[in-house]
Amino acid sequence: MHPEKQKHTFEPKIIAFVCTWCTYAGADLAGTSRMQYPPNVRVLKFPCTGRIDPVFILKAFQQGADGVLVSGCHPGDCHYIAGNFHARRRFAVFRKLLEFVGVDLNRLQFSWVSAAEGGKWVEVVTDLTEKVRAMGPMTEFRELALEEQWSGAINTPELEEAYNQI
Amino acid sequence: MTKSIDTSIYAAVSEAIRAEAQRILSDGTVTAIVGYAAARRKGSAQPIVISSADDAAKLIFTPACVNNLAVYLTKAKKEIPKKGKVGIVVKGCDLKALSGLMGESQLKREDLYLIGVPCAGVLASTVQPATELTSDSIAPKCTECDAQLPGGCDFVPPQAPLTPGQTRKYAAEIARLEALTPAERWAYWKEQFSKCIKCYACRQVCPFCFCEQCLCDRNKPQMVDTTPRPAGNTAWHIVRAMHLAGRCAGCAECERVCPMDIPLNLLNRKMAKELKELYDYEAGFEVNDKGPLNSYTEKDDQSFIK
Amino acid sequence: MSRIGVFICHCGENISRTVDVERVAREVGLLPGVAFSTDYKYMCSDPGQNLLKKAIQEQKLSHVVVAACSPRMHERTFRKAVEAAGLNPFLCEMANIREHCSWVHENKEEATVKAVEIVGMMVERVKKNRVLPTITVPVTKRSLVIGGGIAGIQAALDIADAGHEVILVEREPSIGGHMAQLSETFPTLDCSQCIMTPKMVDVANHPKIRLYTYSEIELVEGYIGNFQVTIRKKARSVDEDKCTGCGVCMEKCPIRKIPNKFDCNLGMRPAIYVPFPQAVPNTPVIDRENCTKFKTGKCGLCQKVCGPGAVDYEQEDRLIVEPVGAIVVATGFDLYNITEKPKGSMIKGYGEFGHGKIPDVIDGMTFERLASASGPTGGKILRPSDGKEPKQIVFIQCIGSRAREKGISYCSKVCCMYTAKHTMLYHHKVHDGQAYVFFMDARTPGKAYDEFWRRSIEEEEAVYIRGMVSRLYQKGDKIVVMGSDIAVGVQVEIEADMVVLATAVQPQAGADALAQKLGISYDKYNFYSEAHAKLRPVECATAGIYLAGACQGPKDIPDTVSQASAAAAKVMTLFAKDKLEREPIVARVREAGCVGCFACKKVCAYGAVEEKEIRDRQGNLIKVVAYVNPGVCGGCGTCQATCPSKCVELDGYTDEQIVAMIEAL
Ligand SMILES: Cc1cc2nc3c(=O)[nH]c(=O)nc-3n(C[C@H](O)[C@H](O)[C@H](O)COP(=O)(O)OP(=O)(O)OC[C@H]3O[C@@H](n4cnc5c(N)ncnc54)[C@H](O)[C@@H]3O)c2cc1C
Ligand code: SF4
Ligand code: SF4
Ligand code: SF4
Ligand code: SF4
Repeated sequence: MHPEKQKHTFEPKIIAFVCTWCTYAGADLAGTSRMQYPPNVRVLKFPCTGRIDPVFILKAFQQGADGVLVSGCHPGDCHYIAGNFHARRRFAVFRKLLEFVGVDLNRLQFSWVSAAEGGKWVEVVTDLTEKVRAMGPMTEFRELALEEQWSGAINTPELEEAYNQI
Repeated sequence: MTKSIDTSIYAAVSEAIRAEAQRILSDGTVTAIVGYAAARRKGSAQPIVISSADDAAKLIFTPACVNNLAVYLTKAKKEIPKKGKVGIVVKGCDLKALSGLMGESQLKREDLYLIGVPCAGVLASTVQPATELTSDSIAPKCTECDAQLPGGCDFVPPQAPLTPGQTRKYAAEIARLEALTPAERWAYWKEQFSKCIKCYACRQVCPFCFCEQCLCDRNKPQMVDTTPRPAGNTAWHIVRAMHLAGRCAGCAECERVCPMDIPLNLLNRKMAKELKELYDYEAGFEVNDKGPLNSYTEKDDQSFIK
Repeated sequence: MSRIGVFICHCGENISRTVDVERVAREVGLLPGVAFSTDYKYMCSDPGQNLLKKAIQEQKLSHVVVAACSPRMHERTFRKAVEAAGLNPFLCEMANIREHCSWVHENKEEATVKAVEIVGMMVERVKKNRVLPTITVPVTKRSLVIGGGIAGIQAALDIADAGHEVILVEREPSIGGHMAQLSETFPTLDCSQCIMTPKMVDVANHPKIRLYTYSEIELVEGYIGNFQVTIRKKARSVDEDKCTGCGVCMEKCPIRKIPNKFDCNLGMRPAIYVPFPQAVPNTPVIDRENCTKFKTGKCGLCQKVCGPGAVDYEQEDRLIVEPVGAIVVATGFDLYNITEKPKGSMIKGYGEFGHGKIPDVIDGMTFERLASASGPTGGKILRPSDGKEPKQIVFIQCIGSRAREKGISYCSKVCCMYTAKHTMLYHHKVHDGQAYVFFMDARTPGKAYDEFWRRSIEEEEAVYIRGMVSRLYQKGDKIVVMGSDIAVGVQVEIEADMVVLATAVQPQAGADALAQKLGISYDKYNFYSEAHAKLRPVECATAGIYLAGACQGPKDIPDTVSQASAAAAKVMTLFAKDKLEREPIVARVREAGCVGCFACKKVCAYGAVEEKEIRDRQGNLIKVVAYVNPGVCGGCGTCQATCPSKCVELDGYTDEQIVAMIEAL
């Protein structure tokens, strides 16, 4: 019954922004149905996907998330009429921006998971975890945070000398 | 190959602007006019606010009239009298910004008298003001301009700008970047963003950055890294591009004023391109009730959503 | 400094089997700000809750995190407990370590580490939680009902019977709506007037119902519990208080040949009239467009003959403001008129069926008037053209309905049934006649409906032809109907004496304008939209406004009445309390920072965001900012994510709270 647990060298951090009414409830259903999925995901509950600010995704990556999931109610099912429609546009555009600055969109997943789709929640979380695990850690933002230099490259001997003297 | 661009109409355009300014100031249609005047350096121009008909003669329009004067009606409005209509000289790109500001309740059309200029292009920020306007010296934004003749203005000089077909400089650069791998693009932007000194000149000049407190300055809570270092710079540029998506008029002022030559408008153009493809939205002269990111249709693309 | 108490629940063994609860309690106990942490077998049990309350008091806790099941399960329970112990309930959060942890993981080490992190996140969040006072909104316990068809009548009677005042506004001179026009009703064939008029009289006599007929809604302001409605009472030219309803004026009026709309223009009425004899109120109205006195200044006969002196040519429209707490919209439907295309309508015409051109091609409602005992023919089925009894009659269903290419894709729902009814009525009245029905499908779900439909074929000898009519034209005094019988695969041609079209049910003209006044949403056909198609079918998304009857979508009488009573029940629920209490999860604007771009207003689906002027002491306008009406806000937070400067914040889900959680990652 219990498959042999595989040992991994890298456990990605996945952060999920979900709405209360559909996806959070769907994740609850996965629990009540005792489905199993990797423990890497941390869930942040919002009233509605409409409340999810793209800045939170950025913040999550800056805080060391290796993958981000945003999930809410299917179109037409929004508890607040149209929050997910607004979110859909916002994220359609934001992901294009991230892609353009060089973020690998394989780390950012969007989904509609209804309160009845415990199975889909498990699938989405598992897929993202495995995909990100295979990709390795998200180093881009973490490396940025470690970088000190603040104005261009130190690409001349004079600059280098000056820099070394600080 | 360098192609010269015909700016011969600018003299007649300037003349017409002066005559109109003279008229509307003396008959009391407006109390002030924001326009361009010659500056000290040869061939250069600078914004000017005039409130007397005698000063109308100072107004000019030349390839050095690069500024988007819209900010003088909002953030930098100190010198503008509070009462009465204000006239403003606008290029097509500036007019798009004004329309956007009206859509966002920052300006009212009835408070303005719009003097549109037929524009064949202005100079890039990288060249000297007296330079001749050519396909090399022209501002990159002008190579993609679809707004040489402003619409819906109160007055537009009758001259028609002649514009040769030009290489769309941003489009070409966007295509180049899109063809790279994410890692290569990250490297490119990392280099660009790390140049940023967070002087916020780009923010200051942008007509749409009118928030009283910018999210990127906020520290309770700190929504994003705010340091003037690569991490904070990157956050700034991503947030800036996102907040301007669907609003940016493409005036390229941000890029013009950046002392570190960061290609800010490239991000803006990329967002504009996506909005066009996704929602058929383009900044234009008409005042929209809602922008593309505060409206939706039930059939919007969701191919990226599982 | 916060003094947070953390309570880890074993949930029997549901959590403790996979999560080392003692270790979780130990580790989170070390987090800054945590003053107390413990674990317990069943936190939600009485002893568990008492443990929580005692700890709050003894340990002087400032915030509480209960790590247990899903907040969807017990958030209310624990917030109540916290409140009972004297803390604001919104200073309590739950960490979900059951559904999201112990139940979905097997490895105890992994699950325990995850649980510690989940609790840690909630500890950071709760530090930023603010005291949120429960929002109370006063409730005006009077209700407005718009539309006096059976839907509006039923809702008004139910609410009034519960003891609340009702303002019933009807656009026409009488209440009754379409049901008053019907002859007999499916599925029982009882006479519509007989069951309808008593209800109309009840409305007129009910002490709690104030009836405004010949009136329209001019303006709606306010929000749930506190609407201000301005009603335009159109000049009737007859004083309702003086009029005794004797009807002498109508007898004496020299203008007699105005087609009566109530009779689908089959009968005639004078210029001063009541639409039908059983009208409520029984007060006539002068149709000023056709009255000689109004057209030329002469005549004035009705005034002279009126005993009580009720006729008043000077009367003007009156505007009346009524405060109400809830609104029921019951404006019903109209039939798709194929003779003329309404301006701006997306519906394409049906000229091919000759409606309006061939006099004996009529619609279903006209047939109802013909069949009605109180109708213009006294209940005889006679052709409008020559008054002869039609011996061959063809009914055509789905005219306009379910025709995507014509612009209406929905099913009108009542036509299958009323056409079956029509064939029966016809057969009862014209014994030697033959009825044919062209239909696409027969849709008869409903109690005793299919039986009814079958009866029309099996007992009343109607011939049902599955197929569409392709063409119809006048030939002599016959109407040739050409169609196909797709079941048999042959063309059919019938020489009919009369044709009845079951035309589509559409919203009333002006439904969209009314919706805009009310701030409720409507679909592309102008049917009003319910808040949730399945779970909130009688509520509008706009709080305090409810829907009843065919204005929300095609409906028969049983469905209409059910929905009307349901809407009334919703109103009564609202009126059951003096003050409306709501969860304080609403958006608030930080006016100091707001720049008045109104992006928030544009995205708010509830219409909760208003524009507010900020003035200095001298009254000079400083700026215009957004204001969120807490009575209306649904609490989605879309505004906040949209506001570029984050000047509107959703209480309970502030940026501080969310960022604290992300930073705890
Ligand atoms: C030909 C035909 C036969 C039918 N036969 C049957 C049957 O046998 N059995 C059955 O169960 N159902 C039958 N129906 C369906 C039935 O007529 C409807 O279910 C019922 O009338 C719906 O009632 P209502 O109150 O929602 O709408 P309506 O009856 O249309 O009443 C709406 C009222 O609102 C008023 N109004 C509209 N707009 C405004 C405004 N802006 N302000 C103020 N007032 C306004 C109107 O004047 C009207 O009085 C039949 C329908 C048709 C077309
Ligand atoms: S103007 Fe240039 S350097 Fe200054 S903040 Fe903007 S991008 Fe950075
Ligand atoms: S972002 Fe740049 S190009 Fe766009 S409106 Fe602002 S200043 Fe102009
Ligand atoms: S979106 Fe923000 S700044 Fe704009 S009006 Fe609303 S609260 Fe004010
Ligand atoms: S939280 Fe939602 S409902 Fe409330 S004001 Fe904001 S957008 Fe409107």
